[in-house]
Amino acid sequence: MTSTINMPHDRHPRSSNWVGRQFSRKEDHRLTTGKGQYFADILVPGMLHLVFVRSTHAHARIKRIDSSAARALPGVVAVVTGADIKDQIKSLPQPVVVPALPARYPTFWPLAVDKVKFHGEPVAAVIARDKYVAEDAAELVEVEYEALPHVRNMETALDPAAPLVHEGWPDNEMFALTFTGGGTPETQAANDAEVDGLIRAADVLVKQRYRVHRCGVTPLETRGALATWDDGDGMTAWITTQRPHIDRLAMSDVLDIPAEKLRVIAPRDQGGGFGVKAPFYREPILVCYMARKLKRPVRWLETREEHLMSVSQERDQMHDLEVAATKDGRIVALRDRGLADNGDGCEGVYWGYLMPFLGAALLPNAYDLPKCDIKIRVACTNKAVLSPARSFGAFPARFALERSIDKIARRIGKDPAEVRRINFIRSLPHVTATGVNYDSGDFLKVWDLLIKTIDLPKFRAEQQEARRQGRYIGLGFGVGAELSGVASSVLVPMENQPGYGAATVRLDPRGKVLVFEGDAPGGQGHETTMAQVVAQEFGIHPNDVIVAHGDTGTTPFGSGTIGARSGSYTVSAISIACRFLKKKIARIMAHDLKLDADPSDFVFGDGQIVFTKDDNIRKTFREMVERIIMAPLNLPQGESGGLEHTAFFEADAPMICFSAHACFVEVDAKTGQFKITRYVTSEDVGTVINPQIVEAQVQGGVVQGISNALFEQFVYDEAGQQLTSTFENYKLATAADVPSIEVHHEAGTPCPHTPLGSRGLGEGIPGAVPGAVTNAVCDALQPFGVEIDELPLRPDRIWRALKAATEKTAAE
Amino acid sequence: MYPAPIENYVAPATVQEALKALGGQAAGEAHFIAGGQSLMQAIKSRLISPRTLIDLQHVAELKGISAEAGGVRIGAMTRYRSIAGEERLNGAYEALRDAASHVGDRQVRNRGTIGGSLCWNYLAACMPPTCIGLGASVELLDTKGEKRTLPAEEFLRGPLETARKENEILLAVVLPGAPARSGSAYKKWGLVTDALPVVGVCAFVQIGDDGRCRRARLAVGGLATGPRRSKAGEEALAGVAAKDAEAIAAAADRAAASTEVQADMWADASYRKALISTLAREVVSTAFARAQARRAA
Amino acid sequence: MNKTISITINGEAYQQSVPIRMLLVDFIRDVAGLTGTHVACTFEGVCGACTVHLDGEAVKSCLMLAVQADGHRITTVEGLAVDGELSILQKAFNDHHALQCGFCTSGILMNAAEFLKVNPRPTEAEIRSALVGNLCRCTGYAHIVDAIKEAAGRAG
Repeated sequence: MTSTINMPHDRHPRSSNWVGRQFSRKEDHRLTTGKGQYFADILVPGMLHLVFVRSTHAHARIKRIDSSAARALPGVVAVVTGADIKDQIKSLPQPVVVPALPARYPTFWPLAVDKVKFHGEPVAAVIARDKYVAEDAAELVEVEYEALPHVRNMETALDPAAPLVHEGWPDNEMFALTFTGGGTPETQAANDAEVDGLIRAADVLVKQRYRVHRCGVTPLETRGALATWDDGDGMTAWITTQRPHIDRLAMSDVLDIPAEKLRVIAPRDQGGGFGVKAPFYREPILVCYMARKLKRPVRWLETREEHLMSVSQERDQMHDLEVAATKDGRIVALRDRGLADNGDGCEGVYWGYLMPFLGAALLPNAYDLPKCDIKIRVACTNKAVLSPARSFGAFPARFALERSIDKIARRIGKDPAEVRRINFIRSLPHVTATGVNYDSGDFLKVWDLLIKTIDLPKFRAEQQEARRQGRYIGLGFGVGAELSGVASSVLVPMENQPGYGAATVRLDPRGKVLVFEGDAPGGQGHETTMAQVVAQEFGIHPNDVIVAHGDTGTTPFGSGTIGARSGSYTVSAISIACRFLKKKIARIMAHDLKLDADPSDFVFGDGQIVFTKDDNIRKTFREMVERIIMAPLNLPQGESGGLEHTAFFEADAPMICFSAHACFVEVDAKTGQFKITRYVTSEDVGTVINPQIVEAQVQGGVVQGISNALFEQFVYDEAGQQLTSTFENYKLATAADVPSIEVHHEAGTPCPHTPLGSRGLGEGIPGAVPGAVTNAVCDALQPFGVEIDELPLRPDRIWRALKAATEKTAAE
Repeated sequence: MYPAPIENYVAPATVQEALKALGGQAAGEAHFIAGGQSLMQAIKSRLISPRTLIDLQHVAELKGISAEAGGVRIGAMTRYRSIAGEERLNGAYEALRDAASHVGDRQVRNRGTIGGSLCWNYLAACMPPTCIGLGASVELLDTKGEKRTLPAEEFLRGPLETARKENEILLAVVLPGAPARSGSAYKKWGLVTDALPVVGVCAFVQIGDDGRCRRARLAVGGLATGPRRSKAGEEALAGVAAKDAEAIAAAADRAAASTEVQADMWADASYRKALISTLAREVVSTAFARAQARRAA
Repeated sequence: MNKTISITINGEAYQQSVPIRMLLVDFIRDVAGLTGTHVACTFEGVCGACTVHLDGEAVKSCLMLAVQADGHRITTVEGLAVDGELSILQKAFNDHHALQCGFCTSGILMNAAEFLKVNPRPTEAEIRSALVGNLCRCTGYAHIVDAIKEAAGRAG
């Protein structure tokens, strides 16, 4: 739609430079005084409480459910099972939540029908007037199971003898794809043969299996859904979702409610999302259904235990990766066979497999790798389905490639920094071997700033000295070329959903501005950054701009807060809407003042609109706005009154945001325990709107990556029982476990495809972390020849590797 | 998430009232609640569902640290926060301060108590191995007015099991008079900072004029067997000089080798033993240093 | 099964008959209607989002029953500002962008407020250690630590 739009930066009066300026968040006042409006704070009179009864088996047939005792408990209004709803609610898949990709889509309902497929699958629901009583009643529901052999993990899932997770499927493979070599079997075969040849002939070949465990980015606020039904107005549903407009369409399909009679509201404040709140899940469907059935408001508030049993599980991939290079370290070919453990695969929109899908597409990362053979398989097992997490699908493949690059460096005796630099993409735009477009950026500039900041030669000298003293310090790198928004050209085939950013900008007669956007933030500070953008455009103060979001009843369609859309797409739509209105105001002002001028002759700043050819000619922003809205007389021909505009932004190219990380560690070679002593990042975020907010995204994203790589792990035992459903066992990093991250954006370049030059940041940050930290540990322990190729990165794993290495040396 | 229905809640002001409330209930129906930092987890997860809760938070007699008969008496309801800040424990009984200052987090330390920890005897807890390591005793009083004292290592059995009878209340933890030139230390390891211990080790050392170990006690927590003394480790420390790092390491290894450990998702058996060895080495060295610092005293 | 209790929250007296099993955090949120205190874990009491002051000391309100607070004083995040004037700590959080989604913020403010009374001149390590009982997912903790450092400095 639009391409380059010049920012008339120099013509703005100084005081209106809100973009790039430190500005404290507007959200903070309510959030620091306990006045946040989160899901659990929303009360509707007469609200009933819904509690799920969940499967205690990994794989079992449901023989019988006896809810009589539960029903008899005073205060219990209803108990419902899969058998009750099977013919009342349409099963998934339904069109709006199915990607246009060839996968097997399992049929499922919000409650298990006939059998359960993972420990924690919802089996029944109890609805009571009091939430404590609802839990009492849930305990009284008796479910008789007949245990079935279960599929333990991805390795055994694709065994011909494996039990079937989904009846009627020939095997447990849900999805498989070749990402390279073009679109036909012939071209792919030719490509595979070429890559094979290059690998065989290479000077250096690193061949390794990498395994990344099951972990994700669980937000601090759990999920919830609250629905009300009125026979006339239809349904209003508050859902902890990142994608209210998508949920609305999906819910409308599944429950047969006309879309115009369904309003989905993402609460104004959400306690984090990180992808976990993006799918279309089972539970809100049942809540909405029961609200309509009972004609009473029904609320479900997820417990942490439910949450950890059923969502936030991501990564869980294996990669057999071969990387071939010249003796100088230039990579000539790459072959990857990826395998992902997708649990039962039952999840609207993402179906779990979209994450490994995108991860494979992004595997080449920021490296210039023209000859690749990349294939993945996604297997179903008896676990919870994968749900999105920041670094959507890419965390394991990033780890694998970064580790392999370090191995190449060690093989040829070069510094890993040097090998990376040799292989970065030098010329953008660039299309990867997997067909992904990278629009712009100067990777070398970003990288060189990182290297300069960490003073690499000085560190290597320190490292040598430390080794002489018997101390083991190390340095590791990781990089990420991450999605900056998701273009329709990607999102339509991937998810049957548009990628454009959309916003309505409404001026009021007093010169203040209301912005409506359909995304649903969970901490990114939209109310502030978007206000800064509008304030800059109109030359007013951000406090005069109110941003409302997340309510499908009042906002334009938005695909949601995913993939770093807001900083790339949504703010762009806001800019465009503002500029449209500015032109209209300028045209009318020129007409009023009988000036021979066009809109570019007017500058908005300091609450004024000034004619650049004679700056004595000026009006206040407020008086022009009031005149156009309240006194729309004597307007130019063809012009109407009012000042409100909705704009849609589609970037003319899919965009990325590049970042490079350096991690320093010290390892205790006796215990395997280690400490991250320093962590530095350099990223290209293009034009920075709010410096503090951008920096904080990196702090948070890196710590999530560290926590994932070191501490968090979802564990299923041999019986398929999930053992990590409390924060005692699924351990998150505390403040005492992580350092402050040193963040640098000085080496960024403005994005040529967005009106502000901004890039969306935040989505992929954790992806560069596991490579950086693990490479640092292996670098520290290079004297021992320790290589760690499996996560989580735990002291006992390092200790065992050290023992094995020293025993091997002793034997030799 | 939420407790099962609770029928009665009593908040006595004295030990007598507390015992009266206990005696008025059928066996097993009533539960004392101290700081509640562990018990409320059990009640909310419905691991236990007491009919009656007897809340000890207002029983002043059970709180406080006092010098007694040359030793130290710590009321059962004394909070971790108070123990962590108690300088009179320095030297001989400093392990208690080490342990108390790192239990959970500061919110937990504001409520949690030593008595609650000992009576719950959770598998991954710090107070139990520390009390065993320091040779502490526990004082119990029953509903019939009978008092008894027994060594912590007899009181503490397998995980979640103690020698406390259903009609008894724990009154205090009693530490004997500290011998001159003694020191102690406690350290634990968990995956994140101050996490529940995968392994925790307490060492107590008394040195002679010659600076060599005259008497040692060593205890390990985080074990599926329940907290245990390591007599093998203690024996290996006899006569060891404070600066003899090699001998200390050897004793630590002996302690590790002779302790029965479990494997779980945090550590396999061999790493657990490696942790015992590392921690034992550290706490023994620190205990020696603290003992030496007391020479002048 | 029920007990009539009196709890003072932020200086205001509440008297109510409640189930003995009602958690203190639910009394605060549902009876007193003060929703600034949050629940983010199940029974484990690890996340710290429910932290309030009990008689001036930071405790986890999800690990207490309401009846245990009978006759006691509770301060919640709503009680930090005095006459609408934000505390130094709250202002520092805003200045340093120490919150993103805000879900952990109430608990952290309450913990930090008491911590600074006990340790008015903390080192960074001491601050990080003091925050072990408060999980944050968004910020990575760095700005929170900066804000607490500043509040300590400015408290004079």
